[in-house]
Amino acid sequence: MNLRRTTIVLFALSIVSSPLINHKAHGQERDEIKQELKELKQMMEKMQERIDDLEERNHVLEQQAKDEAETIEVEEETDLTVIEPPSEEGQTFLGKALNTLNPEISVTGIFAGAWYSQDDPFVFAEIDPQNTGVNVQEIELGFQANVDPYFRFDSFFPITEEGIEIEEAYGTTLFSLPLNSQFRVGKMRAKFGRINQIHRHSQNFVTLPLPAAQFLGEHLNPTSIEANFLVPVPWYMELSASGGSPEVETPTFARDEDANDLGRLLYIFHIANFFELSESLGVSLGGSFATGSNGTAPGARSNLYGIDLFAKYRPLRNNPYQEIMLQSEFMYLDAETPEENLENWGWYGQLVYRFAKRWNSGFRFGIIDTNTPVEEEKEGLLVEPAGTFSLLRDEEGEEEGMLGLLGRTYRISPMLTFNPSEFSRMRLEYDYLNQSFGPNQHAIFLQFQYAIGAHGAHRY
Amino acid sequence: MKIYTNIRFLTLVFAFASISIFSEGRDASAEVKIVTSIPDFAAIAKEIGGDKVVVESLAKGYQDPHFVDAKPIFITRLNQADLLVYNGLDLEIGWLPILITGARNSDIAAPAALGHYNASTSIKNVLEIPTAPVDRSIGDVHPGGNPHYMLDPRNGIPVARGIAARLIRMDPENASYYEENFKNFASTLRLKISEWETELKPFKGTKVVTYHKMWIYFTKWAGLTEAGYIEPKPGIPPSPSHVANLIKSMEKLQVKLIIAANFYPEKTASLVAEKTGAAFLSLPVLVEGRDGINTYTELFDAIVGEVTSALKDKTGSVKDSVYRHKE
Ligand SMILES: [Zn+2]
Repeated sequence: MNLRRTTIVLFALSIVSSPLINHKAHGQERDEIKQELKELKQMMEKMQERIDDLEERNHVLEQQAKDEAETIEVEEETDLTVIEPPSEEGQTFLGKALNTLNPEISVTGIFAGAWYSQDDPFVFAEIDPQNTGVNVQEIELGFQANVDPYFRFDSFFPITEEGIEIEEAYGTTLFSLPLNSQFRVGKMRAKFGRINQIHRHSQNFVTLPLPAAQFLGEHLNPTSIEANFLVPVPWYMELSASGGSPEVETPTFARDEDANDLGRLLYIFHIANFFELSESLGVSLGGSFATGSNGTAPGARSNLYGIDLFAKYRPLRNNPYQEIMLQSEFMYLDAETPEENLENWGWYGQLVYRFAKRWNSGFRFGIIDTNTPVEEEKEGLLVEPAGTFSLLRDEEGEEEGMLGLLGRTYRISPMLTFNPSEFSRMRLEYDYLNQSFGPNQHAIFLQFQYAIGAHGAHRY
Repeated sequence: MKIYTNIRFLTLVFAFASISIFSEGRDASAEVKIVTSIPDFAAIAKEIGGDKVVVESLAKGYQDPHFVDAKPIFITRLNQADLLVYNGLDLEIGWLPILITGARNSDIAAPAALGHYNASTSIKNVLEIPTAPVDRSIGDVHPGGNPHYMLDPRNGIPVARGIAARLIRMDPENASYYEENFKNFASTLRLKISEWETELKPFKGTKVVTYHKMWIYFTKWAGLTEAGYIEPKPGIPPSPSHVANLIKSMEKLQVKLIIAANFYPEKTASLVAEKTGAAFLSLPVLVEGRDGINTYTELFDAIVGEVTSALKDKTGSVKDSVYRHKE
C-alpha cells in the first residue's frame, strides 16, 4: 500500500511540476495551475480516503477470518457410524511436509576430551576414548520408519575415525503372530544381557563396562533371525532366541572357517522379566546364553552365560525428576581352545542417581578375571600360562586378537552428568584401572554429546 | 548334504512365518479392552463404553505425560488391547512408539488400524503449529502443534465422538448403547462448559503466568492472557536471570496469578509468587491428577473452581490495598 501511495504522489508531483517549470512567468497560467493543483489535491485526498477505507475493510475481513478459524463451535452430534476423517484444518504446509514418507533421521555425536596417566593406555572398547587428547567417540546416523503395516525398519550407522559401519539394520514384525511372537531379521544388537542392547549415547558412563567390552566386544551384533515370545504370565516375560552369522567384532565368537554346519553358527537365547513392585519401583531380571564357534580351531566353541539385573526407583508424585537406577550384569565364559578350556568371568554394578531434572551422578565398579591363576615374571611382564588365553589368527595366520584374559582387572568409575536438555549432554568421569599384570592407570574424561533430528523413544 | 540342511532350515523358517501371517492371532472376547496413554481418555472411554469395555491408562494423572517410563509391563497391556487411544502431536514420542513396536498387536500397531486412535486427528484447531521451520534452539517444541488440547474442555466432545465411533465399529452389537452414552456425555459436558464460561466471564483478559507452555488451550478458552512463563523455553528449567526478569515484567503488567501443572517443581513458581504478591496454583491437568478427580468434568470443576476463586481473592485484595493506600 505504501509503495502504491508513494507512486501516486510522485506521479501527481511530476504532472504538477512540469507546467510549473515551463510556464512560471505567466500569471493567468499560474491561476490555472493553482486550480489544477487544487483539483489534484482533492483527487488525492479522495484516493487516500478510498485507500484507508479499503485497508480498514481488509483488516476487518482478516480479523473475521482469524476469529472464525479460532472458534471451536461446541459441536452437535453427527452420525457416529461415519468414519471420521483425520482433521486437515489447521495443518500448515510445514505440518504436511513433516507427515511425508521420509524416515525419521537422527544424528548423534559423541566426543571426549581424555587424559590418561600413561602412554599407550589400556583401552577396552572400540569407541572408548583412545588416547590423551580430544577423541571422536562416535558419530551415529539413524534412519527409522515403519515399512508398511507389517514391518518396521531400524538402522544405525556409526561413523568412526576408521570409517562407516553397520551397527544395526533390522526389520521387526508389527503384526500379531501365534504365541505372541515377534521376529527381527537383520543385523542387530543381540538380546544378551542389558548393556548390549543400549546404544552408547544412552549409556550412563563414558567407557563401556569391562565385562561387556571383554566378552561382547563393542557390541555383540550378529546378522541373524531372532524370534521372541511374550509369555502369558501376570508379569512381563519375554523369551528370545536368535541364530545367525558369527561375523561379529568380539573376541569371544568368530566364524569357523572350515565349517559349513548350522550347529556352528552363533545362537543367542535370552529371558527377560519385569516386575512392577509398585508404581515407583520396577525390577528387571534376565538371563542370557550364547554359544558359537570361537575361531581358535575347527569346532572349538565358546559358551557365554549372563545374568542381568536392573532396578529403577522413581517416585511419580511430588519429585518428578528424581530417580535411582541400579544396573548389574554377571558374565561367565567357557571357551574351548586347542590347548585347554578357558574359564573367565566378569561383573559390573552401577548406581546412577538423578538428583535434578538435568543432573545425575553415578558410580560403577567392574571386574574381569580368569579362573586360572596367572604368574608374573620379575620385571612385570606376563608369563604365558597355558589356558588363560589363546591367540586368534586371521586367514594369513597373522595374530588378530586374543581369546581369554591375562589376569584380574578391575575398574572404578565415578561420574557426574549435566544434560542441558534432552538432546545434549556433558559428562565428567574418572576411571581408576587396576590390573594384576600391569601398572595402574588413571583416566579423566570430559564427554560431550549432541543429538539432532527425530526424537526417539527411550527404552526402560 | 550341506545344501539340503540349509534348505530344510530355511523352509522351516518360512513355513512358520507364513503360517503366522495368515492365521488369526487373537481371539475376540466379550469386552473391548481399551488402553489409553493418559487418564483423560480413559475417563471418557469409561463413560462411553460403560460395562462393555475395560479401560486402563498407562500414564498416571499426577505424572508428566511427556516423561513416562516405557515400562515393559506396558507392552503386555498393549499386546492385549483392542483399542489404543493416545494424544498424538508428539506428546508421547519419548515412550509410546517403542511400546507399540513391542506390543506385536496388529489391531493397534498401524495408524490405519481400527484399534489405533490418535485423538489429535479429531481436533479441529490445533494451536501453535509452527509456521516457520522449527529448531530446537527454541526449546523442545512440538512440530505438529501444541499437544495439550485436552485442556480446552470443548475438545472433550470430538474425542468422545471419536472413541464412540471406534467402539461402534468394533462392537456393532452395542452400537446404540455407545451412541446413547456419547449423547449423554456430550450434552452434560456442553452444559458444564457454559457454566464454567459464566464463572470465568468476569475475569476476561486477566493476565496469568504459566510454568510450561501447555496452557494455551485453557487460557484461550477461559479468556485469560498468558503474560509469561516460568520456563524460559519449553522444557528448559528456569534460570535466575529469567526469574528476575519475569518478576519485573509481572510487576509491570500486574500479573496476579501463576498456574502450573502439579507435576512441575513448585519451588521457583512459589518464590516468584511470593516476590510479586501473585497467587500460585499447582493444578491438576489430567483426570486423576488429584484424589477425587475421576471424570473429565471433575477435572475442569477443579481447575475452573480454583482459578476463579484465586482471581476473586486477588482482585479483592488488590482493591483493598489500593483503598488502604488512599487512606
Ligand atoms: Zn508440552
